[in-house]
Amino acid sequence: MKLTLKMKPRTYDFYLMLLTSAVLAIIGLVCLYGIGYYTYTTETTPQWTETPLYGIYIDSMNQYIYPFVVLLLVVLGLCIPKRIVPRQSLLASGIGILVVTFLIALVTDIGSSLVFLLAVSIVIQTAVMVLTILGRGGLTYEREGYFVQTGSSMLHLGTVVFVLDFVSFRTSDLHLSIFWVATILITIGTVLSFYPGEAGRVARLLRSGSGSS
Amino acid sequence: MSYQDYLAARETVTTIGQPVITVILIVSLLLGMVSLYHMVTRDSRAYVLSTQLRKSSTMLLMVGFIIITWFHLRIYQTIELVYPPGLSNYMSANMGISVTSLRFAVPLWIETEKLYFWTLCLSIFLTVIGLQYDFSRTKMTALFSSSLNIMLSIFMVLSYLANPFKEPLPGLHSEITGWYQAASTGDPNILYGALYQLYFRIIYYYNSEYMWTHPPMLFIAYASLVVTFVGCVFMLFRREKIFDRISYNHAKVGYLLLTVGMLIGYPWAVVAWEGKDWWWDPKINGSIMMWVLYSAYLHSRIYLKRHNMWRATAILGIICFLSLVFTYLLTYIAPGIHAISQ
Repeated sequence: MKLTLKMKPRTYDFYLMLLTSAVLAIIGLVCLYGIGYYTYTTETTPQWTETPLYGIYIDSMNQYIYPFVVLLLVVLGLCIPKRIVPRQSLLASGIGILVVTFLIALVTDIGSSLVFLLAVSIVIQTAVMVLTILGRGGLTYEREGYFVQTGSSMLHLGTVVFVLDFVSFRTSDLHLSIFWVATILITIGTVLSFYPGEAGRVARLLRSGSGSS
Repeated sequence: MSYQDYLAARETVTTIGQPVITVILIVSLLLGMVSLYHMVTRDSRAYVLSTQLRKSSTMLLMVGFIIITWFHLRIYQTIELVYPPGLSNYMSANMGISVTSLRFAVPLWIETEKLYFWTLCLSIFLTVIGLQYDFSRTKMTALFSSSLNIMLSIFMVLSYLANPFKEPLPGLHSEITGWYQAASTGDPNILYGALYQLYFRIIYYYNSEYMWTHPPMLFIAYASLVVTFVGCVFMLFRREKIFDRISYNHAKVGYLLLTVGMLIGYPWAVVAWEGKDWWWDPKINGSIMMWVLYSAYLHSRIYLKRHNMWRATAILGIICFLSLVFTYLLTYIAPGIHAISQ
């Protein structure tokens, strides 16, 4: 079967996807740099991980990654209420959030601005997830269907919780508890996003099972 | 049940397993050659024969896996580490560890068995695909099937080279032998030292839930992503929806298992590698790199119908697989806590 190509006009969503892929690829390149640095330093300075050099390496890797994580949250639209507010207000609220983030980065550091952005993202994504699960209308999604939208909202919330956990709670007693919350959200979200049809069938089966009993 | 019974089981694995892996090698070479012949000549008889050979390969790999499973069961039954009261009381008083005896419940995918398990998963995926799709429908899909067969053939040859039957579980064997020798000396200090060290190896490595879940999820994901890779290569040459569908379906399975597999490894690492320098180590860098690349692939696939996106997605899928192979090899070629030399 040949695929028929229907050319669509390029929307800004398409360019955001290209930007998202580019940011992901850059994060991949930072990781590649980390592999090279770690391997090279081990060759030239054996036992370097037991010296302050290792701490400097960890800090530098975090510093390289953080800006791209911020960018990823922006291009994925996780930190702006794109599903909740109409397009006209979206631009204003999005710019407002980003300006505050930028100011925090200027006044303090990029780590603090990332924490702010993540906190905003969690509030937005929690609201989106709750509204989606409750089946409230008015939310803007690219894909149709209850399970795919619920999965998408859970996946997005899980992702921001996961990043916040690593940025802010790594040394906290809550670290692993928050990690498991994020993991459960990401896992269920991915399953529902990838297999909405199957999830629907299982839900119908369960409903008919409980109905007959 | 004793150390001698364990040695006898190990001997049996070699005696039975060696012929099996040799037959696997022969079948894999035949599978590779027949599939290659089909790709060159488009001879339909070669296609039918290669399908039969692929089915035989899966059966043989399963037989080998049953032998591996039996050996692991025998290790559990024959080896019991008994902790003397003196050591047991010491560990209880000083570390809060309550232990009187331990057995090895060793996962079926460690050391030389890793590649074998990956290959077995790949062969099962190909069997399922063979049932789902009729590849004989067109010449191109038949070529696709033969390419998958060649990939399986390569993995089977690599499994033969890794050979889990020649020297079964060499690392574990040296630890069991070390324990037995320590027990034979009659010196309680040497025995206590060996038992003390083995406790942590068993709890945090051999018997840990992590080793029973994290590696198999990744190997099943890897096997699934091999199919995605072959599909992406074909997408470069032909704009047929079936190649994208197969690639995407397997990328979904692979990505899900990759994500969950990587995530559940983390809490284990926090506990087992406490105080060790594992953060941003090469294998972790490689795993994150592979994961973000597959995320990019899944994102780009949404806009497959856009101009040039078909080709771009296919190229990205191929790069993803190269990063997967690279990440797998990092265990062998790069330093860090995941390194095989550690």
